[in-house]
Amino acid sequence: MNDKNVRTRPGSLFSTVIRDLHFWIPLLVLLAGLLFLRELR
Amino acid sequence: MDPVAVHTPMAASRLRTLQALGVFCGFAAGAWLGGAEAPIKLVSAGISPLTVSLIMVAGVFLARWSIPALIHGTSYVSKDVCQAPHLIIWAVLAGCMWAVANTMTIYAIRDVGLSIAFPLWNTNSLLGIFWGFVLFNELRQAGWSRWLGVLGGALGMLGGATLLAFASSSQAPAGKAALGVVAALGAGILWGTMYIPYRKAYLTGMNPLSFITFFTFGELFTMTILAVSYVGAVPLWHEIVGARTVLFWLMLGGLVWVIGDLFQQYAAKYVGISRGVPLSNTNQIWGLLWGILVFHELQGGSQRVYAQVIGGSILMALGAVAIALSSATGREHSRWQDAAEREGKRYGIEGAYVQASMEGREFEAGSSGRSLIDWLLVGGVTAIFVAMAAMARLPRVDIDLRWAAAVSAAMLLLLAGCGIALWRTTHFS
Repeated sequence: MNDKNVRTRPGSLFSTVIRDLHFWIPLLVLLAGLLFLRELR
Repeated sequence: MDPVAVHTPMAASRLRTLQALGVFCGFAAGAWLGGAEAPIKLVSAGISPLTVSLIMVAGVFLARWSIPALIHGTSYVSKDVCQAPHLIIWAVLAGCMWAVANTMTIYAIRDVGLSIAFPLWNTNSLLGIFWGFVLFNELRQAGWSRWLGVLGGALGMLGGATLLAFASSSQAPAGKAALGVVAALGAGILWGTMYIPYRKAYLTGMNPLSFITFFTFGELFTMTILAVSYVGAVPLWHEIVGARTVLFWLMLGGLVWVIGDLFQQYAAKYVGISRGVPLSNTNQIWGLLWGILVFHELQGGSQRVYAQVIGGSILMALGAVAIALSSATGREHSRWQDAAEREGKRYGIEGAYVQASMEGREFEAGSSGRSLIDWLLVGGVTAIFVAMAAMARLPRVDIDLRWAAAVSAAMLLLLAGCGIALWRTTHFS
């Protein structure tokens, strides 16, 4: 099998990451942090 | 070639060497991350916290591009990214988190002081252990003694953080202390969760030098948005121009931080986030050294405050050491490889690439080299720092220069020692 064909294609790169449940944990923490920063001001 | 099979057990001697290297990197990271916080003391010089953070991140941005260019060349970075392009998204996300957390620490320092805020946000190691266990098979099949070391260490760190939180109420004005403590803990949560992208990257084989290069885009983008929206573009510019005599010190803080972070990334790679993060959190000891010896922090405080701050810091450090001594066994490492295999399958990464990275070897030997672009990059960044240094003046804060020189010398020794060890063992792989 050609390795290049197996590797994630650029077009599907983001959708693969989005489907990874692990991705949502840091994303949600980041959004919560931004909201708290507004309060800190 | 199989795109996902990475499950060839690593030789026991190589595993031991890499674990020892990871531990060394963790301690070096502590020294340099701790040293980088010292310039934040300049917040008291009348510059807004967001501007300080933005200038530091500008220094970080320059260093993150020039240090990898100096060590391996940018062509190495682009080849590495071609193997695992999805990690660009993870690296940018981690950079965004770092920027928000760093801004929070500046508010925390303003409200409760460096010596106290520092250990509080260092509770991020507890989250690092949690995510390492839940998501990446760290500490699985580790045996009771390792569990005891890690959990005992974590509890010790929590106890230390609690002591320091009590001390904060007698250090800061009423009403401010609580917000400062929450800001420091919030930064800890952000940083603790930021280790998910770190571990993701290193399980799937990316070189730390490549990861930090893309990390910095998220960092600079977020900091610029935050600073412009909170301060305003014109006032921000005026503040930066007005602060030109301290720009160098803040950007130097960014540079020092990058070196510390680079060591932390190697620690996360070779001993995992459950051990690497607590180890690099020995930066709390270095922060304390800078704060007390160089900046005369806590001067005039009551004996009780001293006892709480020093006792709490020592307790946290002992906890971190206990965690560090519980290094991964062959069985546990095999579970890390399971996690790496899962990630490789999910993102379609070549097994040999992941395997080589886990063993600290080059995937394609002799594939890197510095080009003219790399030298221009390094030369340009050096010129910017020299220009900033020419404009710089030592800020009007009470600094003990002899202690500053002594602590700096110790940091440089660690840099040289750990840099040589990394080169000899892994060629910065």
